[in-house]
Amino acid sequence: MTATAARTTTYAWIVLSAITIVSWWLAPGHTRGAAAAASVPITVVVVLLALIKGRIIIRYFMEVRTAPPWLKLFTDVWLTIFWAGVLAIYLY
Amino acid sequence: MTNTEETVADVESTHTPGDGHMWVMVLGDLIIFGGYFIIFMVYRAMNPQEFLTSQQHLNINIGVLNTLVLLVSSWFIARSVQAARAGDPASALRLTYLGGLCGVAFILIKAYEWSTEIVAGYTISSNDFFMFYYMLTGVHLFHVSLGVLILGITVRELRNPRRRRVFMVEAGATYWHMVDLLWIVIFALLYVMR
Amino acid sequence: MSSTISAQPSPGAGVADASRAPRVGKRDVWLVFWIVPAFYTAFGVIFFALARVMPPPRPDVTVDQMAHFLHAHSVTIKIGFGVLVLIVGGAGVATGIVVYHMKRMTVGSVMAYAYLGSMSVGALPGCLLVAFCFLTAVYRPDRDPQLLALLYDLGLLSYVGSLGCFSTAYFAFAVAILYDRNQIFPKWLAYVSVWQIVTEIMAVPVFVSKAGPFAWNGSISFWMGTVIFCFWLGCVIVFLKKANELQPVDEPPLD
Repeated sequence: MTATAARTTTYAWIVLSAITIVSWWLAPGHTRGAAAAASVPITVVVVLLALIKGRIIIRYFMEVRTAPPWLKLFTDVWLTIFWAGVLAIYLY
Repeated sequence: MTNTEETVADVESTHTPGDGHMWVMVLGDLIIFGGYFIIFMVYRAMNPQEFLTSQQHLNINIGVLNTLVLLVSSWFIARSVQAARAGDPASALRLTYLGGLCGVAFILIKAYEWSTEIVAGYTISSNDFFMFYYMLTGVHLFHVSLGVLILGITVRELRNPRRRRVFMVEAGATYWHMVDLLWIVIFALLYVMR
Repeated sequence: MSSTISAQPSPGAGVADASRAPRVGKRDVWLVFWIVPAFYTAFGVIFFALARVMPPPRPDVTVDQMAHFLHAHSVTIKIGFGVLVLIVGGAGVATGIVVYHMKRMTVGSVMAYAYLGSMSVGALPGCLLVAFCFLTAVYRPDRDPQLLALLYDLGLLSYVGSLGCFSTAYFAFAVAILYDRNQIFPKWLAYVSVWQIVTEIMAVPVFVSKAGPFAWNGSISFWMGTVIFCFWLGCVIVFLKKANELQPVDEPPLD
């Protein structure tokens, strides 16, 4: 079990780091000299990526994956409501 | 009790890491920070151009570096919990130290980042964006410092052969992952989104 | 590596076996306990309805508007804050009973005294200073508006911005609870106290902010802080009551 657990944790970390690198490329300062402009598609992608990252941390690092159902529900609800709220305010 | 997500390796019943009390801290903190972040978004919506322009003056490279540092630290800490469970306190101890070291590195990098911003003239009073920047990263830094303290308590726990209670190691780890999670949000909202 | 919780026997402090002991507690401690919710209710009425500083009036107003605020509420300020300076001992009593139960913890008295010291010092800027500033402001109806504005700022900055003392007290409280093996208070109350420290940190910008979420009336520095404080206070009162109930009537007096 420990080998599997270690591998799962490592995969989670790799995915998280990869998403972070992608976000780096999406960030405003990275448009090679051009001033950053607001961009709805990029922000939507950023929000989705952050939600995915958050869920991976919660499920794999915090081990909510094997936690009681109420905790799974609470964390999923928090993630959803929070990022939906962020997007709603952004798009309003 | 429905256990809908069974991993290949373990078919044991559900397990709440730590001692329950730490989850009060974590879930409550998520709600409180959620409030702070939503308020940030409201003020951003009232002044999107100012926030967008100010955001340009943040150092995205340092932001990414700090994100990767915390992700690595979380990996160390997650592995330390597994080592503690497997009855390997020496590994657990070493991994906890490494995680804590990453935490200290985060603090130092953040201090450096702040100093470059201040030298460039962007202080807490510069505008709303920067007030949010310093306050959100600042209160997060408080959480990181607290986290390093908590990892110190985990170290103390692991070094004592008469203790080494797994739930203590788990509780410390749960807190630490929360710190990582909060930073992911800060990184997305302050540094990346436009 | 078993996950056993090593519950060591607690020396001398007489932990109640909750399943056996009747929920009675000591009579004198009960008397003191009821002063706590009574005081904080009065505090709420005074600060909210009478003195009108909860929520505080805005920092981003003119000198004339500040003067107008003070004149408009002059009577209720005198009544409210006049009563407060009489009953402010209730804050000391509230601190005292928390300290009493903290001394029953296995961590010893050090954290209790840290809590006692910090809270006691914090009471001056935390609630008395605004009372004296506002009472002074309304004492003479023809006071120079510039002086009124000064008292307005001084009162409200100290009321919202008195942070360090309380943060220290909350920290001592949290540490004591987490290390206590007598389970006087539940462990998660320590984490609620940590949230209190977070709200104090978020109030630091009141000294440079005149409007927005970090001003002394801001959504973050004031409102969220107040909501979390009310939750913390509610929890403390509930668990003081429980600590009272579970205290054995024949427990020897503390040192």
